[in-house]
Amino acid sequence: MSRPSDLVQGTLDLLILKILALQPLNGWAISQRIRQISGGILQVSDGSLYPALHKLEQEGWITAKWKASENNRRAKFYSLTRLGRKQLEKEAADWNRLSSAITHVVRLEEA
Amino acid sequence: MRIEHWLYAVPLRLRALFRRRRVEEELAEELQYHIEKKTEQYIAEGMSVREARQAALRDMDGLERHKEECRDMRRVKFIEDLLKDVRYGLRQLRRNPAFTAVAIVTLALGIGANTVIFSLVYAVLLQPLPYHQSSRLVVLNETTPKVGTVGVSYPNFLDWRSSTRSFTQMAAVESVDFNLAGVSQPENISGDAVSPNFLSMMGVHPLLGRDFEASEEKAGTAPVVLLTYSLWRSQFGADPNAVGRTINLDGRGFTIVGVLPPSYRGIDKTDVIEPIGVWATGDSDATERGGRGDLVVVGRLSPGVTLAQAHVEMEGIEARLAKEYPKANDDFGVKLRPIRDVFVSGMRPAILVLFAAVMFVLLIACANVANLFLVRGAARSKEIALRIAFGASRSRLIRQMLTESFVLASFGGILGLGLAIGGIRGMARLIPTDLLSGATINLNGAVLLFTVAVVVLAAFIFGLAPMAQSTKPEVQAGLKEGARTASGSKAQGRLRGVLATAEISLALVLLAGAGLMMKSLYRLLSVSPGFQPHHVLTMEIDLRTAQYSKDPAMLNFWQQVLERVRALPGVKSAAAGTVVPFTDSHDRSDITVEGMPLVSLGSWPHPDIHVVSPGYVSTLSVSLLRGRAFTDADKKSEPPVALVNQMLARKFFPREDPIGKRFIFGHPSAKKLPDWITIVGVVGNTKLYGLANPARLEVYVPLQQYPQNDMNLVVKSAVNPSALISEIRGAVASIDKGQPIFAISTMKQLVSDSSGERRITLVLLGAFSGLALVLAAIGIYGVLSYSVAQRTHEIGIRMALGARKGDVLRVVLGEGMILVAVGVGIGVVAGLGLTRLMASLLYGVKPTDPLTFTAVSLILAGVALLACYIPARRAASVDPMEALRYE
Repeated sequence: MSRPSDLVQGTLDLLILKILALQPLNGWAISQRIRQISGGILQVSDGSLYPALHKLEQEGWITAKWKASENNRRAKFYSLTRLGRKQLEKEAADWNRLSSAITHVVRLEEA
Repeated sequence: MRIEHWLYAVPLRLRALFRRRRVEEELAEELQYHIEKKTEQYIAEGMSVREARQAALRDMDGLERHKEECRDMRRVKFIEDLLKDVRYGLRQLRRNPAFTAVAIVTLALGIGANTVIFSLVYAVLLQPLPYHQSSRLVVLNETTPKVGTVGVSYPNFLDWRSSTRSFTQMAAVESVDFNLAGVSQPENISGDAVSPNFLSMMGVHPLLGRDFEASEEKAGTAPVVLLTYSLWRSQFGADPNAVGRTINLDGRGFTIVGVLPPSYRGIDKTDVIEPIGVWATGDSDATERGGRGDLVVVGRLSPGVTLAQAHVEMEGIEARLAKEYPKANDDFGVKLRPIRDVFVSGMRPAILVLFAAVMFVLLIACANVANLFLVRGAARSKEIALRIAFGASRSRLIRQMLTESFVLASFGGILGLGLAIGGIRGMARLIPTDLLSGATINLNGAVLLFTVAVVVLAAFIFGLAPMAQSTKPEVQAGLKEGARTASGSKAQGRLRGVLATAEISLALVLLAGAGLMMKSLYRLLSVSPGFQPHHVLTMEIDLRTAQYSKDPAMLNFWQQVLERVRALPGVKSAAAGTVVPFTDSHDRSDITVEGMPLVSLGSWPHPDIHVVSPGYVSTLSVSLLRGRAFTDADKKSEPPVALVNQMLARKFFPREDPIGKRFIFGHPSAKKLPDWITIVGVVGNTKLYGLANPARLEVYVPLQQYPQNDMNLVVKSAVNPSALISEIRGAVASIDKGQPIFAISTMKQLVSDSSGERRITLVLLGAFSGLALVLAAIGIYGVLSYSVAQRTHEIGIRMALGARKGDVLRVVLGEGMILVAVGVGIGVVAGLGLTRLMASLLYGVKPTDPLTFTAVSLILAGVALLACYIPARRAASVDPMEALRYE
């Protein structure tokens, strides 16, 4: 559990929601996009992405549709729902609060 | 927000359940797509195709595990497990067809019996009445210490209505009847005359036409009626144009102003209703304060007022009226009942006893099935131990076993429902309709819901007992012991014994209840009604049309009818009387016997009055103890005469000859000379209101001196009396073809109907206790045969060591009889406590009747002994060599 690329618990949801807020994508593309955007720092293991996607779908935050991808192959595309957008706002706000608090703590000068 | 969530979630979950294959394929396809893309990526990075594919799979890091995680996300795992358990349960049940069949039939009997009785409970006690806020509706009567509950005086009602604050509204309901003519066969129909606000107060709106108007309360209003739905259909073919037409009632034309909805339920049997103003026209009871017919008052309680508060207020008003009108209201009180009570009548205690009885049957059935489960659970203990060893959680195992119980109970429920459909029909036929006062017994939604609840309850009861045993993680023991001896665990044996004992106790209580009912009925039927009901037919004729308004016309009609009926072949004698025993209430009147000490008005002697034709006493074979009966010579012109019953003679003339003594109806008056009536004969007491009721004071007077328009014919025949009905109809029609004949019955039927409620209770209770007896016998048989089968080896050794067949028989029988004795003992104690609750159903026997309890204990012990004997015989016939080799 000490691999640096491991995601803080719960942040995977936030990442997925954020990425899907930009455009509908399939699972493979999502994993690529996470890596790209974070400059390779964040990595989601191939196996754990899909349970997360399915969970978000069950929550009603994202919805899935089968669509043709490149060379006419069928792929499952996820897009954000209205509920998902609200959830994203909430989680983003939470994250900002948390990270600024932690940053604040980390910057404390030793007495 | 939440709703929006379910908008997405529900279709997904349904899809996960019902399109499982499709969802699985999509999951596989989605992950496959990912792997292929990854493979392509690796190939692009320079790996060989094979390496790339392996690397991609490795990245996925346990494809199946992640698939399972995805499945978990669907949140339908619980249901999927359930389905799996159901399939497993079904497989188990199929594997043991004998076990399954016995268990299902046992449960079906218990559940079916419960469904049948609950349909009765629902119809009579629970079904909502078709009125607006019926819990706020109250029925009011007047009471007097002389007779108890009586009708309300109409003038008193008017005063109640103007004084009360406890009721927002009050309405009078007087039951009336009519001769309906102008139809194929003249009929006598029933109705209610009601205050015009009655229907709106009840929240009933006519299906067609209009409600009554306030002006129709006054005497002299034009005759109008509302038809009930059923009369509208039977007499007018549901013709919507019937409104506005006239209907011929008592020879008068009534305008039909509307039709009541099919859901309408009258306070008593109703075919039409008319406004009370029509009844008040020409009916002296409407203006006479002391006139108390069949009038009841229905009121709607004001918001926040309780029944008790309303009662206090009404008693206050009544006391004031008693002061204002002492002659008419002395000693009268007011009785208030929730309207539901009027419909429930006297059925409640019987129904509750039966309901308790079927619950007992269900418990016995559950105990039996629990026992079967225990036996099988024992056989399966190895399997269960294995599963625990392989890591199955205890709660998972419990869930699985409960599911199995539910599957079994559901089958029992379905079969039980099938039995109940027939049972409900049979029971509905058994119950005289007037006991139900308009309720219909059927299998409806509420009853089905109850059945489902019983199924669940049963599944828990018989499912949980064995579980306590078989999921104890005695893994080691379970695996170590041989499959056969594993089941012989002492604790299990004890639990089975306890269950069998409980069954016997429950069965004993039921048998005691049935025994007490049987003895009651026997006692009741051996009470003499005071007359001879055999071969006597009775029917009512009510002369209601204008042609009979004068006494001579009326008397002439009765004279002719009796002459023509007496002339019919097969008729031995015929007579007429106002009310025959076991039917309706008799007219009653205060009497003043010459020389009697004057008492308070409330305790004045108040006998039942029979107005009878000559031959009445002999046709019913009422015994003539002294003097003479009436003859044709007791005419209007002759001095008035009367017969009295023995009770009256003893009360007023304990040491004298009552013949020649005199009395008057009513109270002595200073104004005019008493019109003395002379007693010419004394007859035996008759039970007018049912065998269980005490005899009352009775007076008979001759029809010719007191002409009546409403009489019952009593016809004694040499042959089956029912064969005479059509000929008597013909005889009446030859005199007046518009005259209906109704309430046709044999006296025997009337006597038997009077004990109908007890009879039904006995039949049902008898059936349930018989069922309980059989189930309990099966229960103890099962326990003993299992125990014998388990101990074949031990018995073999004992016999090899010299035990004789008799010894073995004795040991096994002894083991069974200990269970039986304990069960009977507990049952007797419980029964002595519980039969008290049915005291109101009993007649002539105490709820703790020792003879009944002894008899049923012996019967139960006898049957149980027989059930023990079979396995004991089997044990005694064990061949020691066989038994030992078997191991």
